[in-house]
Amino acid sequence: MASATLPAALSPALLEQPAVRVLSEALGENLLAATDFRGEIAITVERKAWYKAVSLLRDHPELEFKLFLDLCGVDFFDREDQPERFAVVLHLYSVSKKRHVRLRTPVPESDPKVQTIIPLFKGANWFEREAWDMYGIVFDGHPNLIRLLTHDAFVGHPLRKDYPQGQRHVLKEPRKWLLQVPPESEHMIVNLGPSHPAMHGCFRVQTLLDGEIVRDAEAEIGYMHRNFEKMAEARTYWQVIPYTDRLNYCSSFMNGHGWALAVEKLLGVQAPARAEAVRVILSEFSRIMDHFVCISTNVVDLGAITPFFVVFRGREKIYELLESCCGARLTVSYVRIGGLAQDVPDDFVPRCRETLEFVMDAFKQMDELLTRNIIFNNRFRDIGVLSKEDALSYGWAGPCLRGSGVETDVRRDAPYSGYDQYDFDVPVGTTGDCYDRYLVRIEEIRQSARIIRQALDKLPAGPVIVDDRKVALPPKSEVYGNIESLMNHFKLVYDGILPPAGEVYGATEGANGELGYYIVSDGGKHPYRLKVRPPCYNNYQAYPEMLKGGQIADAIAIIGGLNVIAGELDR
Amino acid sequence: MGVFDILKGKFVDPTYAGVHAGGDVITTTVDAVVKWGRKSSIWPMPFGTACCAIEFMALTGSHYDLARFGAEVLRFSPRQADLMFVAGTIPDKLGPVLKTIYDQMPEPKWVISMGVCASSGGFYRSYHVMQGIDELIPVDVYVPGCPPSPEGLVAAVMKIQEKIQTSKQAREPQGAHRVGANGEGMYDRRTRRAAWAADDAERRAAGQQPRGVLTDLKPEPEIDHGAHHG
Repeated sequence: MASATLPAALSPALLEQPAVRVLSEALGENLLAATDFRGEIAITVERKAWYKAVSLLRDHPELEFKLFLDLCGVDFFDREDQPERFAVVLHLYSVSKKRHVRLRTPVPESDPKVQTIIPLFKGANWFEREAWDMYGIVFDGHPNLIRLLTHDAFVGHPLRKDYPQGQRHVLKEPRKWLLQVPPESEHMIVNLGPSHPAMHGCFRVQTLLDGEIVRDAEAEIGYMHRNFEKMAEARTYWQVIPYTDRLNYCSSFMNGHGWALAVEKLLGVQAPARAEAVRVILSEFSRIMDHFVCISTNVVDLGAITPFFVVFRGREKIYELLESCCGARLTVSYVRIGGLAQDVPDDFVPRCRETLEFVMDAFKQMDELLTRNIIFNNRFRDIGVLSKEDALSYGWAGPCLRGSGVETDVRRDAPYSGYDQYDFDVPVGTTGDCYDRYLVRIEEIRQSARIIRQALDKLPAGPVIVDDRKVALPPKSEVYGNIESLMNHFKLVYDGILPPAGEVYGATEGANGELGYYIVSDGGKHPYRLKVRPPCYNNYQAYPEMLKGGQIADAIAIIGGLNVIAGELDR
Repeated sequence: MGVFDILKGKFVDPTYAGVHAGGDVITTTVDAVVKWGRKSSIWPMPFGTACCAIEFMALTGSHYDLARFGAEVLRFSPRQADLMFVAGTIPDKLGPVLKTIYDQMPEPKWVISMGVCASSGGFYRSYHVMQGIDELIPVDVYVPGCPPSPEGLVAAVMKIQEKIQTSKQAREPQGAHRVGANGEGMYDRRTRRAAWAADDAERRAAGQQPRGVLTDLKPEPEIDHGAHHG
């Protein structure tokens, strides 16, 4: 990397970072490099010290990186500056210190093996399987290293740079058994999904039943794997925006918001105040919309269809608001790198107020129908409990993590888009059951409304996109008026945005939790590698574990509350 | 309108004022009544996988209200449905599932391919995404859009009604008139369709159902876990 330094020459500024200091003291020459790029600490360690480094980061009292975020592979196929072809990259977060860290280790092509970190973080299981699936990196000690996102008839590792983007393989029969059942067993196997009314998309769970009690369960994903990360490697930074809309399609706007912020972080530009305020308003509307879908479809599965009809009227109103801004209802593509595509309509503020009033009225009705409803309470309380420690270890995010009692919110802990200007509370659950997750969502809707009102009160005037000809297109009037702007326009469309070489991890608080974009840039117009840290991937990973010991009917109540969105889960 | 028109089945809608003879007796053809019944009570099965499923929910919700077209009884079991909405991207991993569910639907059946992903792969032209569901199953109506607006879906349902109304499906086995969708474009659609057709024929020759359809519920003889590894 551009600012890489050898351990012998670790600068004093870097050594002041506790993570770098602790690791360099403990690992010595096994710490290969440490960098500080855009305020992000990245530490590269030798492969043999991988496990030790991760356990130090997790357990050292000065560090406490206990929240697992993301683990992925990177293929530096044609990069001369990298020591080995592959790298494994881990992102962790410390809830107590409010700090991120990135740990990397180079992996040679001839012997692509790394020790598994499942004993340290339960959430690493699927991430390691994915890294094997996508890159062929073997994790020593992994209990179940089989295809995760692609299918069993797949040949090769698709995210490798030398794998052709369009090379497909025909699958004729899906994987039949996910569970190992002894032949003399009298237990029954019940398969839920991938096409099941309560699965909200295409997920599959196989359960082993003893009467109505779930003894064992295993999930399979990848039914919605549509190769966002591979596609992004052949798109410019703008062209990725429509793809991000289709990650968590219940709240499309927030994904684009997160993507724009991540690229702006890489470029080092700041969107104008008006653009940031509009982004916050629409993001919070999207959050409300997302929680509406989550709660209402969850209770539809339990047999209550009225809340669905009530809140979907509110959703239609929000759709109309988004439509008035950008012309699209669901997949908005409204953000641009450095701002917004165009200014909001003239009546934006009164329209937002009217929409908010309508939405909150629908919300109130839903709240009255559900929160104290005795049937609903009986179905939700003490169901699907996940402890705080497990939630951290699985890398849970957002309302689910807060429902388990971990007080963290990216909007508050690492404010972006001017969230520090607004007053809002972060609701936290106590027991970590379905009802807590529901209550957290209900309260977040109220807080979102609070943020929207504050933002509307002081919506600044001014431009909605940066005046930087290397990032944003010049206004059309200038393009047609002078040759310089015409050339700027041409250059930007033709060459795309050219960010500096480097790696950033941009995190925002999506409706489901921390949505992260890990971008590796080589200075070209395409992202060299883009990894999405999808919040519901981690949430869903704990799902089979939560089912064990409970009743089969509870499985339906639990999955709705996790709000697993296939587009985001499988990318 | 003359009486011969009715006998010829020209006026196929029995609610049409001229068809009633005095209020108690309807003179029409069985074909017309069956079609009229079918088109007014479609039971859709949503095969929702992605973003399109959210717009499908909007269609069934209170604002757009699919019930106006007699199609609000959503059945999540293919065996109780006659119209399948394929809403969303179909990756290769989901292909066999889609085929199974289509095969499980009883005749007559119709398919709406909702959105560009289901119709052509959309802007996901890559290693794991089916480039249009007509690689596997026949499609009656394609709805463009990413995702299509609910108005577009209403139009599609009306197209299906029109198709039911004007087709010969009451008399002919369905599927005979369809060999897949119009249009080319995707590099390997024909090959794949041929591969699946050959597979079906092979199984039929061996006296088996199409792949994925359960014929008997005997316990599995032997579980070979080793074969599933990567």
